[in-house]
Amino acid sequence: MLKYILKRILYLIPILIGVSIIIFALKTFTPGDPARQILGNSASEEQVQEKREELGLNDPVPVQYFNYVKGIVTRLDFGDSYRTGKPVLSEITPRLWTSAKITLGAVIIGALIGVLLGIISALKKYTAVDSGVLVISMFFQSVPEFVIGLVLIMVFAVNLHVLPANGIETWQGYIMPMLCIGLASVASYTRITRSSMLEVLGEDYIRTAKAKGQSQNNITFRHALRNALIPVAQSVGTNLGNSIGGGMVLETVFGVPGVGKYIVDAITQRNYPSVLGGALIIAIVLTIINLLVDISFVLIDPRLKTTIISGSGSKKMKKVKPETAKAA
Amino acid sequence: MSENILKVKDLVIHYETDEEVVEAVNNISFEIKKGEVLGIVGETGAGKTTTALGIMGLLPDKVGHVIQGSIELEGENLFDKSEREMRKVRGKKISMIFQDPMTALNPVKTVGEQISEVILLHDQCSKAEALLRAQKMLAMVGIVPERYKDYPHQFSGGMKQRIVIAIALACEPELLIADEPTTALDVTIQAQILDMMRSLQQKQGTSMILITHDLGVVAEMCDHCAVMYAGELVEYGTVEEVFDNPQHPYTKALYQSIPSLDKDVERLHVVPGAVTDPSKLPSYCSFADRCTEKCELCEKGDPECTEVNAEHWVKCFTYQQKKEGK
Repeated sequence: MLKYILKRILYLIPILIGVSIIIFALKTFTPGDPARQILGNSASEEQVQEKREELGLNDPVPVQYFNYVKGIVTRLDFGDSYRTGKPVLSEITPRLWTSAKITLGAVIIGALIGVLLGIISALKKYTAVDSGVLVISMFFQSVPEFVIGLVLIMVFAVNLHVLPANGIETWQGYIMPMLCIGLASVASYTRITRSSMLEVLGEDYIRTAKAKGQSQNNITFRHALRNALIPVAQSVGTNLGNSIGGGMVLETVFGVPGVGKYIVDAITQRNYPSVLGGALIIAIVLTIINLLVDISFVLIDPRLKTTIISGSGSKKMKKVKPETAKAA
Repeated sequence: MSENILKVKDLVIHYETDEEVVEAVNNISFEIKKGEVLGIVGETGAGKTTTALGIMGLLPDKVGHVIQGSIELEGENLFDKSEREMRKVRGKKISMIFQDPMTALNPVKTVGEQISEVILLHDQCSKAEALLRAQKMLAMVGIVPERYKDYPHQFSGGMKQRIVIAIALACEPELLIADEPTTALDVTIQAQILDMMRSLQQKQGTSMILITHDLGVVAEMCDHCAVMYAGELVEYGTVEEVFDNPQHPYTKALYQSIPSLDKDVERLHVVPGAVTDPSKLPSYCSFADRCTEKCELCEKGDPECTEVNAEHWVKCFTYQQKKEGK
């Protein structure tokens, strides 16, 4: 298991090098002078030159890149924001944390509702209930997230005054963003759960369970659900990744200081250290999330244990085989 | 060996879809005595599995319908029972072994859990006790009991079928239905599994329905033999009677298609024609179109059961005429 985790973390290195080179190239080849941008139009040419020297912008590009990477590796230094002059890492960490909380809450809400609806429509396939569930979940998928967000604000903040319309100063502030992202993902979970549940319910081992005299409820929840959840877990992983960095629109609607909004602001301000640092940090976080999701598969599906833990599965198989031959 | 465990009477099962009605089982009747093994043979699509699923009450939802007939288990009609009552019958009184062991076990549960599940459902006992009994069952089917913690994918096909058998026999059922239990297995494993089933069946005194298309298996395992064609039983009798003195042209054709080691043949004998489509059954004898011995009556009506002797009957006009002629 440890070997597998280490291997996956090593995969991170080429990914990060790729991401950093691309953004570094963008920074280098885009017209405009960051030093001038920081100091403003009123600054003298000398001041600008001085700033360029300070930022290391006069060095050859490979040297700049090398220094940047060296800073990250040795001091965890992702550079300073051009705008505020503060280290990018310390600016991003709290925002990333906020985004992560909202995303996690949203995924839990979406997956819970989605899986439940999926089970219901699989059990009631081809009935009015099934079609009803499909229509409702399609509705939430088709309406853009920010529209749902605005409606939620209208209802809960403006009319009912139960939730704050803006900001996350209190825990109530998290509810609407979570709900909004969560509801939008319900449809995909519902559909995945429905189709995988229907497939699983047709499997031979479900018939075996019936032949044992097991009740339909136990069959659904003890036999079918765990098998049906495998594709759902895969989709949870993808959704987590997409939402963390991609929540810009909703972060704007709800006034949440999240990482998506931070990066978009940094792009419009040509604040390259923030863009670069943000992209790298998100890449690291996503890799770790994906790793955790992959590990969680083992908990759901024991067949993967052999493949994931021993890499190819060959070692474990060898151990099992002689025993099999002996007893059979 | 006298009282009847199972009595199937005039059973008719149809599969109904929007497009067509498949007459899978047509008016079959048979009985099984305590401790007896009945072999049901026939080609694919003859309705063998449907009969078994009908007995288990596991016909596919909405599509499979019992049109008429009764299935009595120890004198009680199973069709009168509610779904809740049927759940107490399945696994406890009647259990079933399915054809393909590769897919019959839940991949995400340990085999110990899967065996103890059926024990917990039907017998009052604690989880620990059930697990202990599950381990005993594993030992009984020839698997190291310590492997109860393993998952199905860690076993070979033959061992999976042993586990399926362990599940089926865990509650010592009155009747075991084995639906082609060895078809999916390697030939070398087949004999082992059959031997084991035979000895466990004798040990527990279980009655058994063995569904197969392998006549050799029937000869080895069964007391009685029923030959099924297009949803009908066409011949029934003790194994000795049916094997030594087959009367139905279909049964005879089946025997002829067993390759002989003594004779040097270039081609195996085949039953001419294709299996009758159960959605387009003729109004006359359903085997008539493939029959090599048909008479003028065969395409006019459906034959009745004619007794060959007390332990043997056949459903065939040609035999009926032959007998009356004598």
